[in-house]
Amino acid sequence: MNGFAAHGLDEDAFGEKPGNIVQAFDYFPKAKPQYITQTSGGGKWTVAMITVSCLLIFSEFRVWWQGQEEHTFAVEKGVGHSMQLNMDIVVAMQCQDIHINVQDAAGDRILAADILKRDPTNWGQWVDNGVHKLGHDAHGRIVTGEGWHNLEHDDGFGEEHVHDILAAAGNGKKAKFGKTPRVRGAGRGDSCRIYGSFFVNKVQGDFHITARGHGYQEMGQHLDHNAFNFSHIVNELSFGLFYPSLLNPLDKTIATTPNHFHKFQYFLSVVPTIYSAGRDIFTNQYAVTEQSHMVGDRSVPGIFFKYDIEPMLLTIEERRDGFLRFVVKVVNVFSGVLVAGHWGFTLTEWAMSVWGRRRKSYSDGVLTGKASFDD
Amino acid sequence: MPAKSRFTRLDAFTKTVDEARVRTTSGGIVTIASLLIVLFLAWGEWADYRRIVVHPELIVDKGRGEKMEIHLNITFPRIPCELLTLDVMDVSGEQQTGVMHGVNKVRLNPQEQGGGVIDMKALDLHVEEATHLAPDYCGDCYGATPPQNAQKPGCCNTCEEVREAYASVSWAFGRGENVEQCEREHYGERLDAQRHEGCRIEGGLRVNKVVGNFHIAPGRSFSNGNMHVHDLNNYFDTPIKGGHVFSHEIHHLSFGPQLPDDVIKKIGTKSFPWTNHHLNPLDNTEQITGDPAYNFMYFVKVVSTSYLPLGWEHNSDIMHVSSDHNVDIGKYGHRHDGSVETHQYSVTSHRRSLNGGDDAADGHKERLHARGGIPGVFFSYDISPMKVINREERTKTLAGFLTGLCAIIGGTLTVAAAIDRGVYEGANKLRKIQSKNL
Repeated sequence: MNGFAAHGLDEDAFGEKPGNIVQAFDYFPKAKPQYITQTSGGGKWTVAMITVSCLLIFSEFRVWWQGQEEHTFAVEKGVGHSMQLNMDIVVAMQCQDIHINVQDAAGDRILAADILKRDPTNWGQWVDNGVHKLGHDAHGRIVTGEGWHNLEHDDGFGEEHVHDILAAAGNGKKAKFGKTPRVRGAGRGDSCRIYGSFFVNKVQGDFHITARGHGYQEMGQHLDHNAFNFSHIVNELSFGLFYPSLLNPLDKTIATTPNHFHKFQYFLSVVPTIYSAGRDIFTNQYAVTEQSHMVGDRSVPGIFFKYDIEPMLLTIEERRDGFLRFVVKVVNVFSGVLVAGHWGFTLTEWAMSVWGRRRKSYSDGVLTGKASFDD
Repeated sequence: MPAKSRFTRLDAFTKTVDEARVRTTSGGIVTIASLLIVLFLAWGEWADYRRIVVHPELIVDKGRGEKMEIHLNITFPRIPCELLTLDVMDVSGEQQTGVMHGVNKVRLNPQEQGGGVIDMKALDLHVEEATHLAPDYCGDCYGATPPQNAQKPGCCNTCEEVREAYASVSWAFGRGENVEQCEREHYGERLDAQRHEGCRIEGGLRVNKVVGNFHIAPGRSFSNGNMHVHDLNNYFDTPIKGGHVFSHEIHHLSFGPQLPDDVIKKIGTKSFPWTNHHLNPLDNTEQITGDPAYNFMYFVKVVSTSYLPLGWEHNSDIMHVSSDHNVDIGKYGHRHDGSVETHQYSVTSHRRSLNGGDDAADGHKERLHARGGIPGVFFSYDISPMKVINREERTKTLAGFLTGLCAIIGGTLTVAAAIDRGVYEGANKLRKIQSKNL
């Protein structure tokens, strides 16, 4: 490795050009071709090595390309004011008999009925139109088929990956609610579809659907108790911007009751969430528990959604390591395989020769006795 | 060459005998380049090893009987200090009315005159003590129960004591007309003289760590059964034009000690734009109203947070803050090993007129406000069951660093060797072909 070796007597002998300084740095041992033997065993090993390293690099690439999901959390920033609530609910009552209001911890009462659209419709059109398959889940709730899937691991909204959620959220265009199907048959329809978006204060609140004349004090407004039927289908209930394709726990669920005086209660904990993979969407997930029971004549029947907002903001970010990091990894894998392959080759060569000699010496031993112990 | 033993054959580090070695220019270049790459990557690895990251963890807050400090600094440009009262209430039933410890009211010049500070002390209207009174003087309490801490038991010798007595039996007091003590002290005139002033409330107070609220509202407060009532006479009954309004600017509001700036910077480097690690969301917010009967509400959710620097002591149990409850306001939460127990919060603000009405001005005519209540600024705070622990950590251990280093050196050199070999073989092949062609 010294300069002498490079510049000295060997140069002419090897017939190389007059050496320069750079040459002196050549650390990598290369032997002249005449000193190199190529064996078929070595060739097999080379092929095996290349195959193995290709496989490993391929899997490494896949892992890198998929990226990893990072879940972080932080206390939400800024001073909040209001929050959008999107809903699309079908109630088995006439539209004019329904009151929709929000009452919250700030003391506000929001007359949601003024903002939301109410369309008469037929109950049967929503339940049996093929979208909703009838069946019951473990909680006795009718599963409509489209609803909440139980994935082993999901990042929310029934999707497994952040990019799926982002894809489902769409390209940022303002989404609209679907049209109410035309009422079939005679009459105005037996049910009411309530849908739309409105803003609530970002504080704990109670959003409820009650019957006219029951719950709020109004003069001369009283509805016949036989008209009460708070069976309902929740097509959509979400907080934040409206992303119709993101499935929330209550989306596409149905709850029915034969009673007139029935109270459905949903308790929702809203968790602000940010999904990030290239672009960000800010939305809210929620956890929900439900409870329903028959109530007496003196209580207020209806559908009640009590929501509260969690102070923690979840961030689910999908990201990829830098390309350089990936290259370093590939290099490591490749060189590791190379070295391991070389070892393997050397080992097998050694083992073969030892084994071969053993066998030879053993066979010799039959003839010459102790000669085999000489080695 | 010596005879090969079995282990010689096993040599992974085969060496070419010097006579058979070839050195090429391309080899030299590859060597130098690979050395540079190794150095670069090793430097990166070293930087990675030295880097301290703040790793957040989320646990359930298992602390018991903890206290919490509220640090506040709020300016009310159009209400004099005399009218403002700070009350703290919580679900444990503890009420601190007219909290004074650790909190100063700073009298400010009217806004038109620049709003400078007049007086920095906790304000006391009654500078003139009734010392010149006859020793056997016993002021009338006008039918109210004399306060227990009166200068002379059973008497109301000063205007302050009369007001106290009135408050204890839930009577409105007003400006003190026809109350001998107050007229002697010129309470009403003094109050009117201050009408144009503003007030800044600054300081800290310690509360139980349970759901509660604190509010800054006009007039002396008293409890009437289960009701918490403020004496609003002096607030609404004012000679100045436009009346007093609860426009305010929050300079600072935090629940617990502030982290040092360099620590915030450290945490903030990898934070997202929508989170504010340890920056208080309410700092430097201003709300303006022209209506005296106006109510501002802030719904605060408090999340316990502790910050553990690298050298924090493991034996001081993070679950139970052992801080002495008797330490001064402002010192609570800091520990000698540099770790800090504090709180972050998220907040929603809400404002309404006491006359109710809808939110048509904001484009939400469907939103009806509640009617009635007390004008003022209300903070209701809720304690989250979760606790965030921000722990400083090294990303890599020494062993990890060494492993990485070896991987980099080994990997790079091996691959460089392979490249070099390829170049060499390729050049040889090329030369052979050329010589054949010739």
